[in-house]
Order: sequence, then C-alpha cells, then structure tokens
Amino acid sequence: MPIVEIRSLSYTYPGSTKPTLTNVNLSVEEGEFILLTGPSGCGKTTLCRCLNGLIPNSYGGEFNGQVIVDGLVTTEHPVYEIAQHVGLVFQNPENELFCTSVEREVAFGPENLALPREEVRKRVEESLAMVGISHLRDKSPEELSGGEQQKVAIAALLAMKPKILVLDEPTANLDPASAQSVLNTLLKLNEESGVTMILVEHRLEMVAHMAHRCAILNEGRLVLVGKPEDVLYSDEAEAIGIGIPKVVQVTKALGINKMTGKCPLTSWSLADLLRVWKN
Amino acid sequence: MVTSRPFEGVEELILFEDVSYSYSPGRYAIEHINLSIDKGEVVAILGENGAGKTTLIKHINGLLKPQSGFVIVSGMNTKDTTVATLARHVGLVFQNPDHQLFAETVEKEIMFALTNFNFPEDEISRRVDWALKEFGLLEYKDRPPFLLSGGERKRLALASVLCYDPQIVILDEPTTGQDYRQKLHLASLIKKLNSESKTVVVVTHDIEFAADFIPRSIIMSKGRVIADGDSEELLTNRELLMSASLIPPQLVELSWDLALNPPTIHFDEIVSSVKKLLEGKKA
Amino acid sequence: MKAFGFDYKRGTSIIHILDPRSKFIYTILFTALTVYFVNPLVLLLVFLSSVPMVIVAGVGKSWLRSIRGSLFFIAFIFIFNLIGIFWTTGSVADALIMSISMSLRFMALISIFSVFFLTTPPEDLTQSMVQLKIPYDYALTFNMAMRFVPTLSREAQIIMDAQRSRGLELEKGNIFQRVRNYIPILIPLIISSFRRAELVADAMESRAFGAAKRRTSLYVLTMGRRDFFFILFSAAAFLAFLSLKILLGIQ
Repeated sequence: MPIVEIRSLSYTYPGSTKPTLTNVNLSVEEGEFILLTGPSGCGKTTLCRCLNGLIPNSYGGEFNGQVIVDGLVTTEHPVYEIAQHVGLVFQNPENELFCTSVEREVAFGPENLALPREEVRKRVEESLAMVGISHLRDKSPEELSGGEQQKVAIAALLAMKPKILVLDEPTANLDPASAQSVLNTLLKLNEESGVTMILVEHRLEMVAHMAHRCAILNEGRLVLVGKPEDVLYSDEAEAIGIGIPKVVQVTKALGINKMTGKCPLTSWSLADLLRVWKN
Repeated sequence: MVTSRPFEGVEELILFEDVSYSYSPGRYAIEHINLSIDKGEVVAILGENGAGKTTLIKHINGLLKPQSGFVIVSGMNTKDTTVATLARHVGLVFQNPDHQLFAETVEKEIMFALTNFNFPEDEISRRVDWALKEFGLLEYKDRPPFLLSGGERKRLALASVLCYDPQIVILDEPTTGQDYRQKLHLASLIKKLNSESKTVVVVTHDIEFAADFIPRSIIMSKGRVIADGDSEELLTNRELLMSASLIPPQLVELSWDLALNPPTIHFDEIVSSVKKLLEGKKA
Repeated sequence: MKAFGFDYKRGTSIIHILDPRSKFIYTILFTALTVYFVNPLVLLLVFLSSVPMVIVAGVGKSWLRSIRGSLFFIAFIFIFNLIGIFWTTGSVADALIMSISMSLRFMALISIFSVFFLTTPPEDLTQSMVQLKIPYDYALTFNMAMRFVPTLSREAQIIMDAQRSRGLELEKGNIFQRVRNYIPILIPLIISSFRRAELVADAMESRAFGAAKRRTSLYVLTMGRRDFFFILFSAAAFLAFLSLKILLGIQ
C-alpha cells in the first residue's frame, strides 16, 4: 500500500479565481525518494502544504480530491496529528526556527505531543544524532550557518517520528557546500532510516541521481512522473524549461543514450559509461 | 593568489586598494582587498557564506567605507562621497525584493529612485514607461507591489533600480529561487546591459550560472580575494575551488572524470571532446 | 536592543545557574529600592551592590556595554531634571542633587536588569513563566520576541541599505520630512514581519503546536539550596537598606 496517495487533487486559494493545483494524482511507496520540480509558480509549495494538511485545514480555499498520508485522510485529521506522520521542511530556515536553543527547538514537537519527559529527552538525543548535530545542542539558532539551521529544522521534525519528510526547496538559501551537506543528510536518512522523502529542488544536477522517481509539476498539473533518467531525458521536460543537468544535455546531444540504451545523470556515470563502452 | 589581469595602465571604473573592514574588533570581514574592474566588464563574485562578498559590494556604493585602504568608483573616492551620490552611478539590487518594495503601486515603486535623484518630471514618466515595458510589468502598473508573485517582485526590484540607468549594476544573488527560464532571462538582461557598456557585478552562489554566462570571476574566501581572472581558468582549478568550498560546475566534473586536458566549462567544447573520444573508439 | 543587556551568552557561573525565579525576586526587591529612595548615596550603594554579581558572573564586558549604551539617556535625564527642578525651585544645589539621584536611579535599574538578562537563558525565562502558571501561549510569545529581536534588527539594516542604495537620504529635510523618510524602511519591515509571522505559524503547526492541552517540558526548573540562600541574602540586603530609612531617616 502506498504511504502517500494524492487522488485527483485540485485546489484554489481563498480569494483566488485560478486553481493552483489541477487534478494531481500521485502515489508514493514507503521508503521512496521523490524529486519534485517545475518552474516557479507551478504549485510546488502548495502541493507541499497539502501533504501535511496545512491545506486545507489552516488555509481554507476550495479543496477537491483526496490526500492520504500514512493512512490518514488529511481533511479528516488536524495538522498536529498529521505532523506525526509527515514532516514539512521550509525554504528559509530563518522562519522555521523560533526557539532560543537548538535543544529546545528539537524538543518543541514532542513536548507539544505531551510525551513523557524521558521520551522527549530520548527523541531529542536520537534526532540530533541522526542528523549529526549533537554538538550544536546548546547553540542559539542565530549563531548557526544556514546549512546547520536547516539540519536543526530536519531534526526538529524527526523528533516527531514522521515516516515521510516533505522538503520545500530546503537548499535555496544555502551556499553550495552547505546545500550538499544537507542533501547528503537527506540521502542518509532515506537509505539508513527508510524515511520517505519528497524533495522540491531546482538544482537537478545535485539531486537527480539521489531520487528513485522524479515528478514535474507545470502550471498546477503533474505532467511527468517516472524514473529520473526517463523524465530528464524526455523531450517534454526540455520543453517545460526546467534546468536539465549538463550531463544529460551532453549525452543527448551526442545520442549516447540512444546508442547505449543508458541514461547517465552524473558526470562519473557518464565517464564510466564511455570507458566501458570504449573497450 | 591566481590572477591573470594586468593591474596598471587600464582605466578602472572600480578600484579597491588594500581595503580592509571589520564589524567587530579583531575579526576582519574583508582583508587587504585589491581589485580593479573596468568599464563594460561583467564579473562574478563567488564564495561561500561569510566569505565577505556582501561586505565587498557594500563598499562599491559607499554603504560601508573602508577602515583602511581606499575605494575609487567612477573617479570618486567613496570615503568623501555620500551614498546618494554614489548610488546614482551604482545600482545595487538586493537579493530579497521584499527588503525594498514599499510603495502603493508598482509605478510609484519605480518612481522612487528617480524622484530621489531629482530627475525632471517628463524624464521620470519616460523612464517609468520604459521600465514597466522592459520588465513586463505594464499590466500591474497600478497594483500594490506586495500582491505580485515572487518572480514579478524580483523583476520589479530590478526595474526600480535599472530605471535610473546606473553605470554600474550590482546584483546580489539574483538567481536565488529562480527557475531555469528566469535564469535565462537574467542572463540576457546581463548581456544587454553589457552591450550598453555597463559594468555588471554579480554576487552569486550559483556557480553553474557564473560558468555559463560570466566571463570573469573573483573568488573570495575568509575575507580575502583568493583568485581573480578568467572564469574558465578559475572554475576548472580543482585546488582553488576546494579551498573556497565551491562545488565545481557539472561540465567541469565531467572534464575531470573524462581526464580532458585542458578541462572546460563550455558545453560545445565538451561535446566535441567527447565526440573525439568516441571516434577514437571507432578507429 | 543590545544597549539594554539582551545579548545573553551561555555561562556556567553561580549567577547563571540560579533559578530565574530567585533572580527575579532579587530584581523586584532591588528595583523597589531604587524607586523608594531618593538619596544619591543610597542609590549609588544600590548601584554598586550589583557590581559584585557582574564580576562573579563574568559578564563585565556586556554589562559595560549596557551602561555605555544608556549613557545618552542618563545624560538626557540629568539635563532634563536639572533644568526642570531649577525652574521650579530656583535652587542650584537642589537641582544638582536631584538630577544626580535620578541619573543614579536609572543607572542602578539598568545594572540590575542587565544582571538578570545577561545571566538568564531566554528559554529558562520562558520555562519559569510557564511554571509561574502564565499560559504557555504568552510565555512562547515572549520567547519568540527574544528570538526574533536580532533577526528584526538585521532585517531593518538590510532594508535601510537597500533604500539608501536607491538614493534615499534619511537625514534630509526638516523634522517632519525626516520622519517621513523612514516610511520606505518601515513598510517593508512591517510587511516582511507579517510574512514571517505567517511562515512561523505554518512551521509551528507543522510541529504539532496545540496538540495537547498540557504539553511536556524538557526541563523543569527546580529551586535548590543556593537559590534559597540567594533569596535570603537579597531579602537581608533589602531589609538592611530599608533600615537606613527606619533607623536613620534617610529618604
């Protein structure tokens, strides 16, 4: 059974006349890593908010269809309940950290759930360790770099033991090295702890190879879903105007994908492919 | 330090001479910066957060005055010139449009700088019209800026600075949160400004963007300029990128993985090199 | 805000590890003293009594910054009182003594509050509010205010830079014009604060805010023996000061 199921989802914000999402269908298996991309304003952020029930529970608006996460129909459960199944990481870490120390930040979720104190403490320890930031516990979010802040945000969500993490352009405001470090953390969580990932990202060259599947949203519709290599090598993806990774462009320009039947996403896989093929 | 530029005998538009600045005693935000940028150049400033990029560009329009050394912009020493005077020559577009948009309408937003610089009235309306059309904002003319979409706000921020036709344009992280199409637009805007012999300085994390569109790069690390020169030369230098904590562009990675000599940042060159490799197989 | 001693840094001194509630009692008692007395010598004594705590806590630098930051206000209070009292009483001596008292009173207040804020982690402050049965929503609001003060001041700086880069001259014109010059700074600041408030609300909801009526607290503050002694000592000092009035009739 899929862990996330979106069924003919359409959504219009209150006061708006144009729907932001139109008939979106997607199911995600447990443990999958989904890369969601698409041009600005295509509805990615809105879709993220639908996944943890902020839409429609807090936003109102016209909501049609169904979103089921970990067995919960989002319209039938309050956000705080869904939060224990889906964690949502935002674009700007500055606005998602509101406590004065990292430890309190991570404790905030489990405290809200009124878990026994020992359990809260245990979850704080575990989450900090999972993200590799135990050494930052006494810092104030103000003192941290953007990458560290984003890791704190991730740890703060993990403390509620969600099976699914949804990340809305978590690296947009980070420098490349911090971005890479955050992405590696996500990959590790997915591979080692089996957390289902739904990652919104523009910088496809950095993430395409991490994902099991790639989905492209365009003007509120899910237009392409499939293996990253199938999606990124398709002519439709090129036409929509997402930033196709250079390796894909080189491979396509030379027709290597057609000749070998392989679709590399990284420089090293293309180089390996050429090496093997040459001999 | 890697440098491939002559320092004397050219007429610089922006000149940094041994500039240092610190916000708190004992820790320099930028240190011993020597730099010269000519009229009509397009330059990228790269480096991780905290490398000193923002401090550096704030010296160009005088928001910060050097604590030691000096900065000359369009022949003016920034120490003796007000921000308002320098701003007339230097247009600085900040990363987040929400940090500057305030007017009741898009039109008034564009008028703000023009009024501050005392442009005559007919000139103001001419320039506002131009900016509205140039940045595709004509239909939003009477709308409040904060009701525009993110992409539109970013364009308005650009329009509200470029409307007064500054000689030097500085863009701080212009590609943040921008999709591929928007980046292409930005690249063509930079090209256009360049063709009008404007000087464009782009502060960016987006090394792919710099590699694709900007001929000269300045790489900063820990408050110092550690390299300054031809983008291709710098962005294919593995040790240099490592020491500045920069992730190489994917084409450069590919060049290295294919052991191309010399490595390149140009798509066409990679394609023809790989083609040669493949022909080698057939032969 | 730094001028008022809000730049708390983590520390391990005896003053730092006291329960915020005991420090709060000290703050209340000594604030009362500064309000109660007008004798400049007593006020000087109250001021000086806070200095050993500053030294023990090792926050001298930040404390000095607080005092230095308030010098402008102190000068203002001094001059204002001097002129005002001279105007009404016509006595230079009275005016001088009174304005010295007022300035010392203000300095003592700054110092006492600095000790409190410089040695108390904001989160412990919030926690002590919760344990004093103040509703969690209010305590959290207070905590968030502390958290976002630096963010807001940084943002104000960026906005000011952005508008000056578009030719805004803040110091231009008469007093009314100058106030109006700040509109292009205030509006983006307000709008982005609203935007931030919405995003923060989303982030809080996404972390199960409001899930249970009574939430857990990771840490619970407990009063120890040192708190008992500290309160005892503060109360004793308070009474000693009061006895100055009762026994010696000092106002």
